[in-house]
Amino acid sequence: MSNSPGDNADIDPQTAAQTFVAQTIARGRRSLELATAPPHPVGLSPKEVLYSRGTLRLYHYEAQSDEVYRVPVLLVMATTNRAFIFDLAPGQSMIEYMLQQGFDVYVLDWEAPTIAERNLTLADYTQDFIPTCISKVQEDSGEEDVSIIGYCMGGVLSLIYAATHADGPLKNLVCLTTPVDFHRTGITQVWNDPRYFDVDALVDTLGIIPAETVTQMFEMQRPAQKIAGQLRLWDQILDDDFVDNYRAFNRWGEETLPLAGEYLRETTKELNWGNKLYTGELEVDGNNANLSNVKMPLLSIVAEHDHLAPRDATLPLLDLVGSQDKQEILLKGGHVSLIAGPNAAKRMWPRLNEWLAERSV
Amino acid sequence: MADKKKQDSPAASFSEMVTQWERNFDAFANQVMGTDAYSQAMNEMQKSQLGMQKLFAQSMTQQLATLNLPSREDIVHLTDLVTQLDRRLERIEERFALNDRPKSKRKRPPRTKTPKKANKGDAEEKKS
Repeated sequence: MSNSPGDNADIDPQTAAQTFVAQTIARGRRSLELATAPPHPVGLSPKEVLYSRGTLRLYHYEAQSDEVYRVPVLLVMATTNRAFIFDLAPGQSMIEYMLQQGFDVYVLDWEAPTIAERNLTLADYTQDFIPTCISKVQEDSGEEDVSIIGYCMGGVLSLIYAATHADGPLKNLVCLTTPVDFHRTGITQVWNDPRYFDVDALVDTLGIIPAETVTQMFEMQRPAQKIAGQLRLWDQILDDDFVDNYRAFNRWGEETLPLAGEYLRETTKELNWGNKLYTGELEVDGNNANLSNVKMPLLSIVAEHDHLAPRDATLPLLDLVGSQDKQEILLKGGHVSLIAGPNAAKRMWPRLNEWLAERSV
Repeated sequence: MADKKKQDSPAASFSEMVTQWERNFDAFANQVMGTDAYSQAMNEMQKSQLGMQKLFAQSMTQQLATLNLPSREDIVHLTDLVTQLDRRLERIEERFALNDRPKSKRKRPPRTKTPKKANKGDAEEKKS
């Protein structure tokens, strides 16, 4: 284990034993400190709430450059998680990076839906929330054009918005780890088998799907991940950077959001079972969400080892959209490490900046 | 040389061991849990839990009614009404622009930036 006596072969057994005991005590003490510590601070980049309604929060981040690109950027988060994954910590924040690169950044984030919001559907998210936020961004920035970056299901919502608003103000669309072929989502497809999964019973009984159920669905796909994470934490508990990183990611995982029941019912039936986003048959509020309607420049960034949006599920996007200017970037990493953490800063953010900058003037 | 020593250290071995264990366990679990039988069993269990929850909720509703107290459904109904009122108020405010607030005092840099070339990372690309 880290800093254990065996690290140095020259140390005699007695010193090694003393060091081992001292470090075990230090580890125990640090564990206690962490167990009683307040939640790790996250999302520290200065921002203001531009608009809020129910579960919806629209934030505008303070500029960190002397001049910005003409086209503002709206980040759309998946409805199951909080957007602070884009702003984990100073120096490890995608938002901070984008601000420093000269983007004017807005973020569409979610609070836990209340019981009164149990009937929210795809139509609410894609025909009301996103268009409303775009109007607010246009009004605030004074610019007609807006670019969207959607993450995971936030990417799916953004795609549906784009497909149903072909004449809208969307200048560019970036989809991060966004699945489109829901019949190739791996193990979740087996669990959602319509022969066994009674989504109606679940939604009718619960109304709002509790965060614990959503978390369980994520964790069951990598059942050893949590224990392995705790073992790694114990191993490196005296490394402050590692601990800070662990706590920030852990907080994000623990603050998974509940889901509006109707939204789950609709996504299960229309996307998971019907695979209608892929087949082009998806209708939202009477509007056809055929992806061939998506004509603006599109960038899809996907991760090699993504188990939540597997490669097979993200692969057809470029072929389905009607954009002339389209590109896919496949990067090393997983579903979360693609967008946050040291590897994201090295691999993904510069590629995103490069693509979006030249299309944001 | 230093890298080799680092690789051979117990710290690296422990980390490698955890990673290997995680990989093997996940692969095994996914094999087991990715079967029809598992999906059926998992969903059956969930269905029976939901059934019990429904029964409990029904009996609780009856007891609350006996005590002349509002049930969860009553509260949910009230919440819906308040939410509708809230939404209606918001629309009225928007129509009369009552929610016009002063423009933010935050820094508003000019929108004149032009891009400069960035470095490429290690990625595969598919362009159309």
